[in-house]
Amino acid sequence: MAHRSPCKPWRLCKPWEHQLSRRHWLGGVAGGALAMAGLRGPALAAELEKTQKQVLFVWLDGGISQLESWDPKPGTQFGGPFRAIATSVPDIRVSELLPRTARQMHHLALVRSLCTQDNAHSSGVARIQRGDPKNRGVTYPFFGSAVVRLLGPGDSGLPPYMWVKPGNGGFLPGDAGFLGPKYGALALGDGKPPENLPRPESLTAADDDLRNSLRERANRRYAARRRAEASQANDQVFDMAAQLKKRMDLFDASTFPARDVERYGTHELGRHLLMARRMLEAGVRFVKVGSYGWDTHGDNFNGHLSLVPKFDQAFAAIIEDLAERAMLDRVLVIAMSEFGRTPRINGHVGRDHWPEAWSLAMAGSGLKRGIAVGATNDKGTFVATEEYDIGHMFHTWFHALGIDSAAIEYDNQGQPLPVANEACHLVKEVLA
Amino acid sequence: MAADPSELLKRYEPKMAKTVDLDRQMVTLRYSPCGKLLLAGDFDGMVRRWDANGEELQNLAPLAGHGGWVTALTFHGDGHRVFTSDSWGQLRAWPYAEAAPQPAWAVAQAHDGWIRAIACSPDGQNVATCGSDKQIRVWSADDGGKRHEFAAGEDVYSLAFHPSGALASGDLKGVVKHWDAAVGKCEREFDARGMYLYDRLQDVGGVRALAFDKAGTTLVCAGSQPKSGAFVQGSPLVLWFDWQSGNLKHTLKLGGENDGFVYDMSLHQDGFLMAVSSGQPGSGKLFFHSPDAEQPFFAATTMANCHALAVHPGGYRLAVSATNSSSNGNGRQLNGNKEYPGNFSPLYFWDLPQSS
Amino acid sequence: MPIFARSRKIAIALVLFVGHAKCAADEPLHVRIDGLIAAKATARVVSAAADDAEFARRVYLDLAGRIPTCQEARTFLGESSPDKRTLLIDRLLASVDYARHMQERFHVVLMERLGDNPQWTKYLHDSFAANKPWDQMAREILRADPQNEATRGAAFFYAKRLDHYGQNPIDYPGLTRDVGRLFLGVDLRCAQCHDHLFIEDYKQEDFQGLSAFFQSAYLEDLGLPVVGEKPTTEKTAFMSVFAKVPRQVGPRFPGGQEVAIPAIDKGEEYVQPPDPKTKFPGTLRFSPLSALSDGLPRPDNALFTRNIVNRLWCMMMGRGLVEPLDLSHRGNSPSHPELLELLAGEFVAHGFDVRWLLRELALSQAYQRASILPPGEPPPSELFLTALEKRLSAEQLLRSMLEATGERERLETTDQGKPLAELRERFVKALANAPREPEDAFSPSLASALFVLHDKAFLDLLQPRPGNLIDRLEKLAAADQAAEELYLTVLSRLPTDEERVEVAEYLMRQPDRRAVAISQLAWALLASTEFCVNH
Repeated sequence: MAHRSPCKPWRLCKPWEHQLSRRHWLGGVAGGALAMAGLRGPALAAELEKTQKQVLFVWLDGGISQLESWDPKPGTQFGGPFRAIATSVPDIRVSELLPRTARQMHHLALVRSLCTQDNAHSSGVARIQRGDPKNRGVTYPFFGSAVVRLLGPGDSGLPPYMWVKPGNGGFLPGDAGFLGPKYGALALGDGKPPENLPRPESLTAADDDLRNSLRERANRRYAARRRAEASQANDQVFDMAAQLKKRMDLFDASTFPARDVERYGTHELGRHLLMARRMLEAGVRFVKVGSYGWDTHGDNFNGHLSLVPKFDQAFAAIIEDLAERAMLDRVLVIAMSEFGRTPRINGHVGRDHWPEAWSLAMAGSGLKRGIAVGATNDKGTFVATEEYDIGHMFHTWFHALGIDSAAIEYDNQGQPLPVANEACHLVKEVLA
Repeated sequence: MAADPSELLKRYEPKMAKTVDLDRQMVTLRYSPCGKLLLAGDFDGMVRRWDANGEELQNLAPLAGHGGWVTALTFHGDGHRVFTSDSWGQLRAWPYAEAAPQPAWAVAQAHDGWIRAIACSPDGQNVATCGSDKQIRVWSADDGGKRHEFAAGEDVYSLAFHPSGALASGDLKGVVKHWDAAVGKCEREFDARGMYLYDRLQDVGGVRALAFDKAGTTLVCAGSQPKSGAFVQGSPLVLWFDWQSGNLKHTLKLGGENDGFVYDMSLHQDGFLMAVSSGQPGSGKLFFHSPDAEQPFFAATTMANCHALAVHPGGYRLAVSATNSSSNGNGRQLNGNKEYPGNFSPLYFWDLPQSS
Repeated sequence: MPIFARSRKIAIALVLFVGHAKCAADEPLHVRIDGLIAAKATARVVSAAADDAEFARRVYLDLAGRIPTCQEARTFLGESSPDKRTLLIDRLLASVDYARHMQERFHVVLMERLGDNPQWTKYLHDSFAANKPWDQMAREILRADPQNEATRGAAFFYAKRLDHYGQNPIDYPGLTRDVGRLFLGVDLRCAQCHDHLFIEDYKQEDFQGLSAFFQSAYLEDLGLPVVGEKPTTEKTAFMSVFAKVPRQVGPRFPGGQEVAIPAIDKGEEYVQPPDPKTKFPGTLRFSPLSALSDGLPRPDNALFTRNIVNRLWCMMMGRGLVEPLDLSHRGNSPSHPELLELLAGEFVAHGFDVRWLLRELALSQAYQRASILPPGEPPPSELFLTALEKRLSAEQLLRSMLEATGERERLETTDQGKPLAELRERFVKALANAPREPEDAFSPSLASALFVLHDKAFLDLLQPRPGNLIDRLEKLAAADQAAEELYLTVLSRLPTDEERVEVAEYLMRQPDRRAVAISQLAWALLASTEFCVNH
């Protein structure tokens, strides 16, 4: 691990020489190209950009119960009513609510020894997705923004960080924290294209071309005698819009084969994971799929009986498909929540929030296959092996993607920032 | 039936007699037909037994051998046998009053997973079960031999036999079915769909309890009218159907969206409903309701969460199995010994006025 | 020829020197501004003055928050009086549009899209309508006095920043940072945990001392809004993460004095006790916010005075004399140090009169330059020898697009303004920055491009309706008349010959779809860079 002396300025140039306009939107630059947060460390940046690595990040918002999924403890005080079943890996058992995923266990890597800090959703979700870094007075990027920054956008021509979610879509520059809005997420509400992407029906393609050629002529006249920056910035975003319009097929759910629709499930998580597969196949660097409603403070067992099998169906299908398409070598798959659920069962027959000991599941790029790392005690109350915070996972994930999280740093206008919490280390046992 | 609530209260208002704190949580609670024993199914695969005769409950050896939660227990009318089920799919029959009872018979996988309800046929020959495997099965009460089975089409939560031998079931989606169990034919359906909601990704609700009145003229269905999943917000909901015509005669929507589900109920011989409900922690209720009224004439709100109701055959005592107060909370909450405590079920005993 | 070149340079230098000496203190500020700009111009080529059309559009946008109407543009272009530009400036500064525009501008600058509050809107609007001196506004905002009904809205600056949720702590560091950035032009964020690594002027004590003013502040009510303070009895303890030496500081102005915390007996802290029923937070004997409000916005606080004039300069000129606007320190020299001092001094001498300063800026040649580059190498933007293209806010664009399409009145009066409010929301969603991202530079986005391309509510403005732009253009049979009306209305200028021809040809090619063709021509101009920036 490279030792850094934080007191010495790394740069010889003076800060005010930077064009410190740090507000870019997806390629638009007014005032200089080098203004966003840079990277420091060995000349990895160019190497990393060539990589084909991608990420699928499945977010089960609210806190899936580890006891009703990855780390069952049947027949114990807090075990609940469900049984555990065998999987395709001897010695790994999961809840009976995950029968299909159990058959894909040989592709998966489980971590059962997570112990994190925050037990509230409103703050916990962001903390987990930002890797709960040390407080340096900056807003750290979400994992998706970080990956796009560190690996580059890829050459798909598509927005590099897409989030397929129920409810509303939109542009979410806030995910990117100090990296700047360029690294934000494009959220697709229910998998639909971004607002205003589809051309209104009243406008024909021919008319659209006509009016755009008028616009472009007007812009050329304007730009001819003026500074380049504003005109270039504007042209760039219209070009990206045109690019995206050409790929409207990505958002057309009607073209999926019926067999796939059935395998993944017609419920929203099934539909969204199927859409995610298409995004990954199209080369999108980071695809996040969100599912809401996992916060089963009440009627936890009937709740999970309804929820987990739907996740099971869709998740097993996409693992199977990625494996079949030989994509698991380059796609890192993560399925998790912001915490787990209490062993203690409350009066509403529910489980509350439990960051003390919980699990996540992974597969793919850079990871071992068919393995469960870490363990909780017999009752499932606390971690019995080494506790891993989310910072450990960030180190591990970066390494799985070929990023040396100890050697590379962000450069936030002169402020060096570690890419993952430096008090944490990578989980060697799970890396290939 | 006197319609005047104050009159009803005078005649039937229960008073809390005693509380017994158990060490773990219970699912279900029933008095034996003779009234001497009290049985409870717990979260730990055991059927607890107490001698309920005296002032104090006397512990008796539990019935062991179940796995997961003991989800239902139903006594045979003959006064000797009890049928018990668990969430792992096992069904057992026991001579319940013996000192150290062994199962008379057991079916290891009566269902694939969670058995939700057991009902004993009026002629005592059969016992019917239902579960999350969407099956209804009928067994010989004597030896556990499978007599009939049929697909119910949905996760079935509750069962009740009509005095005539017809079987009623209530499922997750709020559909109550009248079955000819011998041939597995659904004769007709009753609409309790108000007890179900699909919220985001989750099926919420279910017909949690069913009961016929003694004469078999009325079928009572109980559950919740759900408002949302996850947390689960919803108001207790009870429907009275006329069995013959199938018409809905009366609806009770009780309390607010924190009040949750009706978990268990019993029809008093004088025609009113006794039921327990539970929703958010602290929202438990025991209530008595006469179906010709708007609101219950009695409701107790002092028990934190109520999950099971046992009615003594003599008619003068009720037992409610609940959950302790302060049962919820996020994160690491250790007790004085720095241990992580589980919750438990207090049992509350209520005395009804002695009726003539 | 080296001798010639040298003597030419000397000659120029002499001219400039003489010119500089001529800018005596009795000259109007705008003349002295131009003198100092020229002094740094050092043989660079300078853009010509903006033509009337470009000037009019720019000054309307800067002072009234909208483009001129077709009629206003036509009138201005037709006027012959030599001081018509000055008269226009004065007219705009006196208009109702001015107060509203300044309210919108300062709302974005001070709140950075964190949220809205009707009392805050009213406070800003009333302040600018009355031309309240800036130091007074700063005092009111920094004091958040719960007992002054007239300035109640000013508390929103703190209130929104003291709001929090979940297990998140209240973001006092964020509040401290924002006060430093927005009122003093210093971004102390990187000095929270240690002395700034590169900027010698930013010490940890500066951050912690400023932060100490807010440690006892809390949010009483977000809607009213009301902010309160609990008694402050102790200094703030802090320690650098590098040199782990425990230190203490009481409320202290950055680079300045520390305010002593008086010893007050327990139970005696309040002059008036709090009343939870009325949400009155009480009046303390010692109130750090009062001390801040008294001590920070003073004429002798160079950080304070330089910050505001730098921001007002940037608003008009497109770039601060100090860049970034919130990174003033000795290692980051202003592009024109003497000019910055002059502006600060004169602004103070005129009682922090915002309208006065904006007028002087607008009257300068620097402001009135063309955005068209001079021949040869483009001069660096920080010399202000060419007008810089400025960002148009979502609010300016909305107003301007409504004016251009002739749809403003209809939307303002339909259904109690509900469709207008909805349209405003759509504009803000597509065109504004994320919260806490200052809207200084022109930064178009995929969202803004898609909005202009396909948004139905926006495209609907180009449907012909009685009296609106498309309707008026349709009724003009002659293509040339239509071209003129189109360009004057949308781009606030006359079309070039090439553009006239283009319009005529375009209309001729689609004779049976005239309305459609017209609306396409109009759309192309509304979607153009020329319309979407303030040049």
